[in-house]
Amino acid sequence: MARIELRHITKEFGGVGVIRDLNLVIPDGKFTVLVGPSGCGKTTLLRVIAGIGPATSGQVVMNGQDITDVGPGKRDIAMVFQNYAIYPTMSVRDNIEFGLKNKKVPKEERQRRIDEVSRMTGLTGLLDRKPSTLSGGQRQRIALARAMVKNPQVFLMDEPLSNLDAKLRNSMRSELIEMHRRLKATFVYVTHDQVEAMAMADMIVLINKGQIVQKGTPRQLYSDPDHVFTAQFLGTPPMNILPCEDGTQVGFRPEKAIFTETRPKGRAFCRPAEIVTCEMLGSESVCKVKLGLQTVMIKSADETLEPGRRLWLSTEDDSLLFFDAAGNRIRAEGEEREKLCRKAAEG
Amino acid sequence: MNPMTEESPAVTGRKPAESGSIPETAEDSPVTEKGTGPVSWRERELQAEKELEEETEPDLAAWDLERPASAAARKAGRRRRKVSGWIVSWLMILPAIAFLLIFTIYPMANIFRLSLYRGNALNPTKQFVSLDNFREIFLIKTDFLVALKNTAYYTVMVISFLIALSLLFALWLRADRKINQVSQVLLFTPYLIATISCAFIWSWLYNKNDYGLFNTVLGWFHLGPVNWLNDSGMAMNCIIVMNVWKNIGYYALIILASLKSIPAEIDEAALLDQAGPLRKFFRITLPLLSPQLFFILITITTGSFKVFDSVRIMTNGGPGDATRVISMYIYDYAFQRNNTLGVASAAGVVLVGILVVVTIFYFRCLEKRVHYR
Repeated sequence: MARIELRHITKEFGGVGVIRDLNLVIPDGKFTVLVGPSGCGKTTLLRVIAGIGPATSGQVVMNGQDITDVGPGKRDIAMVFQNYAIYPTMSVRDNIEFGLKNKKVPKEERQRRIDEVSRMTGLTGLLDRKPSTLSGGQRQRIALARAMVKNPQVFLMDEPLSNLDAKLRNSMRSELIEMHRRLKATFVYVTHDQVEAMAMADMIVLINKGQIVQKGTPRQLYSDPDHVFTAQFLGTPPMNILPCEDGTQVGFRPEKAIFTETRPKGRAFCRPAEIVTCEMLGSESVCKVKLGLQTVMIKSADETLEPGRRLWLSTEDDSLLFFDAAGNRIRAEGEEREKLCRKAAEG
Repeated sequence: MNPMTEESPAVTGRKPAESGSIPETAEDSPVTEKGTGPVSWRERELQAEKELEEETEPDLAAWDLERPASAAARKAGRRRRKVSGWIVSWLMILPAIAFLLIFTIYPMANIFRLSLYRGNALNPTKQFVSLDNFREIFLIKTDFLVALKNTAYYTVMVISFLIALSLLFALWLRADRKINQVSQVLLFTPYLIATISCAFIWSWLYNKNDYGLFNTVLGWFHLGPVNWLNDSGMAMNCIIVMNVWKNIGYYALIILASLKSIPAEIDEAALLDQAGPLRKFFRITLPLLSPQLFFILITITTGSFKVFDSVRIMTNGGPGDATRVISMYIYDYAFQRNNTLGVASAAGVVLVGILVVVTIFYFRCLEKRVHYR
């Protein structure tokens, strides 16, 4: 159990700033996911927390104690690497035991803990095997077991599921959530996959170009984005953003669109639309729809939608979100909001 | 509905049974060919049927008859292709095999034969002496045992220092700094120079007179000159230093390549596992390097047992017998003395035997500690 604070973290590689003056509090016992596009600095941030890639400047504080200069082994954290980083010359047991031996944990205690984590990770029968004889999923479990056996306050995970196939990834995802629930430790999880982030996180920290764009629960980020970047990074397909006059932008989620045969009344946003393509995804379809010169993506359970159909596309006024020219959210109420809606109607 | 499509399957289905109809159709066909005028669909159908028969019937019959024959032919063809492929592949490796047979296998076999004779280079098999040559080198004279002892000392020292130092240099060169890149080149350069040139250069460095570098440096500190290559306790060590210096770059490079292939995450995981630098080195890095170290161990061992040129140039086996190694002993007995070719051959046989034993020992005792990734 630990609360981690990052204070004014700056990280440069060869004079190029990757992270600039970043402040973040990672809450105790929560599953925090750092998500963002490739190269945004999320793994760099994780390595700063781990102590294996120290920050150029700034402070890392754990439970109120400055650990900036504490070595990685002494921080009471465990890390699972993207490519697992298993010691290839050691058996599964030695891999799990290595950290405990270094910590001089007594033999009986080591044995007890290894038995426990190997049971939890399903490695019991494989303890004397060499990692090279095991599958990707099993190696992933060794990496998890190696982290769990140390019983750390914080688990750091750097895209641990990215090397697994889609099916295994899904099952490991729920296993990780379960593991978090059982261990009640602080999890910091890095991924570039927004679906994974949404599915697993208690708190999402969305990072872009070394800066935190927004943080909050998955629901907050999805339905109440502060920035166009958040709106368009989360959700498949992402939020539709259309320009209005004077640079304002209006956005709505693909599933909020309503199709009608005739022009609906009492809705500000309403456009004639033509369906271009439709992708059937089972319970619903994702359609590419042309609104004059612009194209939007729409998610709908309506089975009558097919390419070439001309309809009216509208949304409830509540579903509209407004952003300024720089992409920041305009949170307007009452009269001001009505003004914005009128703009959207004209746009 | 088109009757053609209805009937034609039946027509083709009847074919194999009506094998006797071949001459009939052969006779009929000119007639139908003549009839170019308007004909009923029934006639056209009959014509089509005959044409079909003409086309398929002989084929079917031929296929039935030729089937076993063609299988045999195919088998024969396959065998022929296999044989010709075999011949071509042997022809391709023939030059290499010829060289191996003429310059390696034959001399090796011959040396066993010659070790049982007394003779010289012109008349190697003058007199059959059975195992006398072996008795002579082991029991009568002591110079072979001295050479063996010197070679063993040289080998052990070169192995220990060369592996330890190239490992240390490789670990140092691993970091990606400018100075490391420069040192890597500098360290490798001696390996490119011929051993004879190196031996000459080092002979000058070791010279006991004014122009010897080492004695000049000692002079700066008011220390008396050392008789490097003429001191029986020092000469072998001087040669060892030269050879280690010359080869260190090459072996460091091999180890460095292997070190660089270790993923950085493994080191980081070890850091997180609280492994100290020494423990990390012995438990993680060294096992990962073991295949390369094993290879280096074997090549250095075999190379050291055969050391000749540097010793010949720097000390010529002296002072006394202090730096006489097995290969020098063999050279001496084979070409410098009279009627002792058999003795040299016997020494050669012993050298081969030792190398075989050492290599087997390495594989037996060390290979299980080698971790192939």
